[in-house]
Amino acid sequence: MDAVFTGLATGFGVALDPFNLFLVLAGCFAGTLIGALPGLGPINGVAILLPIAYGLGFGPESALILLAGIYYGAEYGGRISSILLNVPGDAGAVMTTLDGNPMARKGEAGRALSLSAVASFVGGTFAVILMSLFAPLLASFAVTFSPANYVALMVFAFASLASLVGKSTVKTLLGAVIGLMLATIGIDANTGVPRFTFGIPDILAGIDFLIVVVGLFGMAELLTLVEHQVSGKLKSLPVDKSFVRMADLAKCKWTIVRSSILGFFIGILPGTGASVASAVAYGTEKRISDSEKTFGTGDVRGLAAPEAANNAAAGGAMVPMLTLGIPGSGTTAILLGALLMFNIQPGPMMFTQRPDVAWGLIASMYIGNVALLVINLPLVGLFARMLTIPQHYLTPLIAILAFIGIYTIVGNPFDLLLITGLGVFGWILRKLDFSLAPVILGFVLGSLFENNLRRALSISGGDWGILLQDYKSIVLYALALIVVVAPIWLSRRARAMEGDADPRG
Amino acid sequence: MVDRIFAGVLLIVTLAYAVIAFTAIKAPFQYDPLGPESWPQILSLVAMACLLVILWRPDATEMGVACKTWFRLGATVLMLCAYSELYEPLGFVLATILFGTALCAMLGAGLVRSIVFGFAAGIGGYLLCVTLLDLNLPEGELIEAIMDATAQEGAS
Repeated sequence: MDAVFTGLATGFGVALDPFNLFLVLAGCFAGTLIGALPGLGPINGVAILLPIAYGLGFGPESALILLAGIYYGAEYGGRISSILLNVPGDAGAVMTTLDGNPMARKGEAGRALSLSAVASFVGGTFAVILMSLFAPLLASFAVTFSPANYVALMVFAFASLASLVGKSTVKTLLGAVIGLMLATIGIDANTGVPRFTFGIPDILAGIDFLIVVVGLFGMAELLTLVEHQVSGKLKSLPVDKSFVRMADLAKCKWTIVRSSILGFFIGILPGTGASVASAVAYGTEKRISDSEKTFGTGDVRGLAAPEAANNAAAGGAMVPMLTLGIPGSGTTAILLGALLMFNIQPGPMMFTQRPDVAWGLIASMYIGNVALLVINLPLVGLFARMLTIPQHYLTPLIAILAFIGIYTIVGNPFDLLLITGLGVFGWILRKLDFSLAPVILGFVLGSLFENNLRRALSISGGDWGILLQDYKSIVLYALALIVVVAPIWLSRRARAMEGDADPRG
Repeated sequence: MVDRIFAGVLLIVTLAYAVIAFTAIKAPFQYDPLGPESWPQILSLVAMACLLVILWRPDATEMGVACKTWFRLGATVLMLCAYSELYEPLGFVLATILFGTALCAMLGAGLVRSIVFGFAAGIGGYLLCVTLLDLNLPEGELIEAIMDATAQEGAS
């Protein structure tokens, strides 16, 4: 407990520095703007702005605080386009449209927006508090992890990724393997042997993380926008003067608490982020409290549940990233890559070696949450106006931002062609129902996975038995097995029960 | 069908990757039981297993992209390539004006609006990034050459 308070004190010392405070606010504001843009979710926003944040030459804690603010703000802003346009910015916001948009159509847009802001705030704050309690505990436990345990952890992470993310398990797994394969390009750090470089000097040091991120996310998003391009403006519902009432909050009180807890723990699971959390929270809430069958027609609880879970999961996903060095979602994978670029290895040692970064980030999330609520309640009209920005201005702007970001890293025009190529590849993957988050997760974790495997085998002198030697590894493998088998079993059972209920089918 | 084609292409790439991993990569000497080649070998096997499953049981049959959309996408990719090629020779300002105007016009904005947007993005972007944020953007070889020439004329 002491560690938590001293840690938080250090953290607030960093986060309340006027410059960092400014960055939190700027990040939250920019993030909300990005999140509010239709079709542009948190992951694309962070991907496009990451190289620019890196190019500004801030210290690691400042850059990370800025990026986390953008991430956080974008999760917040995603609800605006979901509610007013019925166009979710990313997979995590899909559930918000189910009850949010009907409310707006009934002329209660203001009420829906303010209620979801409050739900997001509670979910987010809840997650940060749990995070500041859990993270140091988990970190001090994780210090005892051996390389073999890390291998098991990684297997668990990819197993839960494959079974919970995306439509097809095989495709998600293949996506992760593609990421891992991309990570093997370059000089092998242990022996100095070049792998898959074909003598091209540009890639001796490996493909730059930023190029992969901007290419796969930013540029692929751009091509998707061009593909779905609609001429003229999207029709946005007006924001009226209605506001959230105490009665609404009283009605949603337990919904928000339940969904926050659920969201946080789903967020912690490696590989699963806001999208799974909001879907599960909405489903659970519907089962628990939808006695009058009002869900889906503009029920306040149906709006509060996914929003609270969404933001709680965004916080929860930071926990494994900070304590184990294994990101809980695609966006945190990008943040992890950002840390690595600053030569900070996230993981259990970060809380002792770089407390300023770890705790500074956590403290900035407290501030960010409050800031987002304060920014969002009065300025929602301004953000809503972003929705009407015509796509034909937005699309070129994304390309220009991405190019600026990539060019400023090393000033090599070859990289610009590379991101265009990766963008086309990413677009094809998306068209074929691959999700892109596993690719980036695989890419970020590639060297960590490989090095731990090699280290484990060096310790045992080549005996593969070491991977199964202690209880921690075995528990993790068992969990991995459960994560893969349980959904299949559940869906079989659900199908069997449906078959019973409907004999004709 | 599309799934099969894509998986087939990836399979060829993976096979090439596997061949390199199994034959070409070798450390001259090493102390660890696992050399630089083992990990890529494992990965290539897993990837091939996944690809064979997809080839056997594909699920996406069509891309669902209209002919007109293909044309628009192709044009966008071409513009992006041209933009990358011209980035250094023309410099950020000129290249962005051209690219911004062209893409904006193609996506359906009026010509005048597109031109205004292009100029705003090029000049505004340059001022914002270079003077305010202190980022490094290309001035353009062409412009530099002209500037040099005028400077020399002024000196002589």
